[in-house]
Amino acid sequence: MAASQANSNIGMSGKRKRKQASPNPPVPQIMKQGAFVPWLYLLPALAVMTFFIVYPMINTIGLSFMNSDGTASAATTCRDGQPCWGVFENYRYALTDEFNTSSPAALWKSFWSSSYGNTIKWIVVMVFGTVTVGLAFAVLADRVKYEALAKAVLFMPMAISFVGAGVIWKFVYDYGTSQTQIGLLNSIITSLGGRPVAWLSTIPINTFMIVIVGIWIWSGFCMTILAAALKSVPDEIIEAARVDGAAEWTVFWKIIVPIILPTITVVVTTMVINVLKLFDLVYVMTGGNFKTDVIANRMYTEMYKNFNVGRGTAVAVILVVAIIPFIYLNIKRFLEQEASR
Amino acid sequence: MKNKSIFWSMTSIVALVALLLTACGPTATEAPATQAPSTGGSEIDCAGAKSGDEISMLYQWSGVEEAALNQVLKPLLDACGIVLKPESTRDQALLDTRVQAGTPPDVAFWQVAQLVQYKDKLQAMDALGADSSSYSDFFLAPVTIDGKWLGLPIKADVKSIIWYSPSNFETLGYKVPTTWDELDALVEKMAADGNVPWSMGFESGDATGWTGTDFVQDIMLVQQGPGFVNGILDGSVSYADPGVKQAYETYGKWAMSDKYTVGGAQGTLSTPFLEAIYKPFADPPEAMLVKQSGFAGGEIAKQFSNLKQGADYDFFVVPSIQGLQGSVEPMMAFADTPAVRALVKYLSSAQGGANWAAATFGLSPNKGAAGNYTDAALQKLGDAIASTSGFTTDIGDTIPGGFGSAEFQGISEFVNGGDLDSILAGLAAKQAEGLKK
Amino acid sequence: MNRDQINKQLNKLPTHAIVILTMVIWAVPTLGLLVTSLRPPEAVGSSGWWTAFTTQRTAGPYETYCAECHGTDRKALPQADLTNPELIAKYSRSLQLLALLRQDINGQPHMGNMPLPTAQEAADIASYLRDDDQANSRFTLNNYIDALVGYRGRSSYTADCEAGTQPPDLKCNLSDILNPRGMGRAFINSLFVTLPATFIPILFAAFAGYAFAWLDFKGRFLLFALLVGLQVVPLQMTLVPISRFYAQTGLNGTFLGVWLFHTGFGMPYAIYLMRNFLGTLPRDLFESAYLDGATHWTVFRQLVVPLAMPAIASLGIFQFLWVWNDLLVALVFLGGTTPVMTYQISNMVTSLGSGWQVLTAAAFLSMLLPMIVFFSLQRYFVRGLLAGSVKG
Repeated sequence: MAASQANSNIGMSGKRKRKQASPNPPVPQIMKQGAFVPWLYLLPALAVMTFFIVYPMINTIGLSFMNSDGTASAATTCRDGQPCWGVFENYRYALTDEFNTSSPAALWKSFWSSSYGNTIKWIVVMVFGTVTVGLAFAVLADRVKYEALAKAVLFMPMAISFVGAGVIWKFVYDYGTSQTQIGLLNSIITSLGGRPVAWLSTIPINTFMIVIVGIWIWSGFCMTILAAALKSVPDEIIEAARVDGAAEWTVFWKIIVPIILPTITVVVTTMVINVLKLFDLVYVMTGGNFKTDVIANRMYTEMYKNFNVGRGTAVAVILVVAIIPFIYLNIKRFLEQEASR
Repeated sequence: MKNKSIFWSMTSIVALVALLLTACGPTATEAPATQAPSTGGSEIDCAGAKSGDEISMLYQWSGVEEAALNQVLKPLLDACGIVLKPESTRDQALLDTRVQAGTPPDVAFWQVAQLVQYKDKLQAMDALGADSSSYSDFFLAPVTIDGKWLGLPIKADVKSIIWYSPSNFETLGYKVPTTWDELDALVEKMAADGNVPWSMGFESGDATGWTGTDFVQDIMLVQQGPGFVNGILDGSVSYADPGVKQAYETYGKWAMSDKYTVGGAQGTLSTPFLEAIYKPFADPPEAMLVKQSGFAGGEIAKQFSNLKQGADYDFFVVPSIQGLQGSVEPMMAFADTPAVRALVKYLSSAQGGANWAAATFGLSPNKGAAGNYTDAALQKLGDAIASTSGFTTDIGDTIPGGFGSAEFQGISEFVNGGDLDSILAGLAAKQAEGLKK
Repeated sequence: MNRDQINKQLNKLPTHAIVILTMVIWAVPTLGLLVTSLRPPEAVGSSGWWTAFTTQRTAGPYETYCAECHGTDRKALPQADLTNPELIAKYSRSLQLLALLRQDINGQPHMGNMPLPTAQEAADIASYLRDDDQANSRFTLNNYIDALVGYRGRSSYTADCEAGTQPPDLKCNLSDILNPRGMGRAFINSLFVTLPATFIPILFAAFAGYAFAWLDFKGRFLLFALLVGLQVVPLQMTLVPISRFYAQTGLNGTFLGVWLFHTGFGMPYAIYLMRNFLGTLPRDLFESAYLDGATHWTVFRQLVVPLAMPAIASLGIFQFLWVWNDLLVALVFLGGTTPVMTYQISNMVTSLGSGWQVLTAAAFLSMLLPMIVFFSLQRYFVRGLLAGSVKG
């Protein structure tokens, strides 16, 4: 306890110092000892990452221009009378196959039930949901005595494997055909006199029902990070505003949010990456049926159910390309911070 | 400093773990030994396998199924001293990764579609010493790819059967139909009586929909016959053929109305297939009939321990069907070792078939199984197979290239109100692509 | 208590309401799992888990419809003794019972002036006559016992052991807890996988984070951006090339292979967090250390590692959770011969999905350790992320 207390004191004093001496170069001169030493420290990390991530990624990009088992160019998979993009044939399939291009209206409709449309729904709803719940809960739990317990409850779903989560939500979404509903949600609805709903096969609510499970799992993560950020907002500033007669709502929006905005950016970025990579939930709950497919699950389907390595890898490359803008935002934020340090 | 001590104690824990590991190494899971039927091990041909030889195998069975498989293999292991290194998973990614990486298991029990997919990497069964005289031709046909016998038919099931409750039928005055028209009339009569005729359930995780395509294929066998279905399998009949559409429409009439099926379309889509099996046998019964493969008998027995086969639950073959629809699960071999040869010889021998039957682990395509079933329902199914005029495999399991999962999705979409013509057109394209040489 | 204090408490009321409501919403699904895992399997499929606490089905419909004539002891009519098993067997199900009730007895309607019971009520009566209720208890530990010992038969471990019909791999004594099919052995395997796979990436990330934050070298930002960007690579893409390499080097099926794979994939986020945290440490601390003649290694060992404990703890829990709950990597690189907990859980049900009640208990067992880790690291955890993500 004493040790961590001391740490935080050091941290605070250091932070203040930095603010006063802002035009300093990022690294003190004295610490530039040799050009070789830094690479020693980087070596283990660079080695494992090159081997486990970079090399397979290059391999993947190569395979995405090949046919289903990687033995010939993708151009050979074109069929007569069908559109063909040559060696980019897998990309044509990945980008256009789900869309109905007969009319703009049909295209619009088919886009929103495709894996791309669903992934966008996921990003918007899930990121908004987790960050909102996480932030609201962090702010409110800060003011109650049972804070630790409350946060543990919100964090708990993170400790549950996807298999477990699948079973858990079966007992929430279950749709029974007899009078007895063993699903909690439908039981509540029928006891209020309503008709039970088949949550996971009714389009379009089914996608949102799976997103809710995602929010349930990941809100704890956002809450934890945001709660930590909130604790760093100096009490003096908030108290000063309150003394000036600002309403709690104003204090929150005008003082707290601006201060923790960098953290919110971090959380949003991390969540977007998570959502784009997330396929387990869809796989466990609907298997991508009933127009709930997402890009990551489609990649899995092409790779391991249809055994089309070329198409699967093409979807993967598209997935990676889709994430790059968010990574760019993240890095930009870093550069700005480093510059002002 | 306290923090520091945590750091170093973590280090020492890791060091300790590493030490323990080098000391004892990973402990292999031994397949649990199970009581073997008293067939005597003397006749088993070990094919030169020595005691301690290992076979790595990969299969989708687990729980009770895995225990049954161990029971079948026990006499071989005892006689030859072969050691099993089994892995059980339903994730196709595992098998595919193993094969792609050049480290396949010695043998795998998977679907017929994988025989096509891995045809260049598999060992021919006759070269391994399998006895083809143990199997009917219609079981050998689906596991023979490009003229090579690549899979040992290991486990079969009959899909074209309908389960019902004889005691409920008797009480309500219903008779088992003998023609399709009688079945249709019976369904109408039940609906008119206020008894829901069918229990249907699609939900099955990422394979949701397979119970529907099974049903549709049976209807095709009734309306069009086995030649039509085999045409779909080899590509000479398009999946967009009017005959396919007719079968879907016949099915849709039942599957999408709450007059004919429990819960209507949403009930069909959302009910897990296992739950659907239970509904006609629950009390009070929610439905009268459920069309499901032979394995349903075992599931009913497990769920309702006080029900008796023959009196409380039984099945009849889909009436007017021309030939049976069934599934064959093959064993494929990636390696040619004495132990694998011994395994292949044992499983294709009369004794292997008999032991499979005795383990109550579904049907064995092996002729040696006949008469050795200890389970009455299995015996009856075995008789149905023995007397059938023909046998067609499941369309979705057989056409490679992801047709199966597309077909499951397609029927789910259809029951959910999708446009049938465009669904079938999409599936026909998948069919053409999957069958392209 | 003065008026101000009362007002203050009242103002807090909405806060309490929202916090508690959210807690309830978040906890209820998991509570459902807990209750379900404690119920006998027959009950799970026929009624919602929340009904486990309310009163059980009783002789209710029998009392209403039958007791008047047949008596509460069921023996009032000697010619229709409802305790006679042979008679009951004929009418043991609702359809048969209802058919009987519709028939006349001695020229009179069976039920007299009373209405016929509904189908559900008839089923309840039939069930009561069969004495089903007595056999079923409301809660049971069987699911947990079955999961722990890896029982995979058709009834339950305790029932089989009593009857002496247990599978031959079980001995019905304490040694069963180490049965290779059970959760006990898998727990140890999971620990062997998880501890190093948590520790190694943290160590590597601490090295790299230190270099990125406090050492100067060419291409520092670019390299860092690149590494953070690698977070996006989907894991499934790497399985085949890596296992091909492992097969050549003999790493397949070894713990080392799994540790290295998790290290590689944990690295981008770990470096990101570490570098971010270490960057917030006060510069003067490092400067004075160097002025005193300390080398990088001394600074790293004596300054960075102790000060980074909060970040290490927070990273620790995330990496721990991810490895602990992972199935795919363990399955591909470790396989079935060294089963981890997630592998055992997914194999408790048959390929058709029956027997999943054991899965509820198994899922709960696998949750326990992560929750203990979270509670014990919570203090560090919050602080670590604080410093990692917020910079003044």
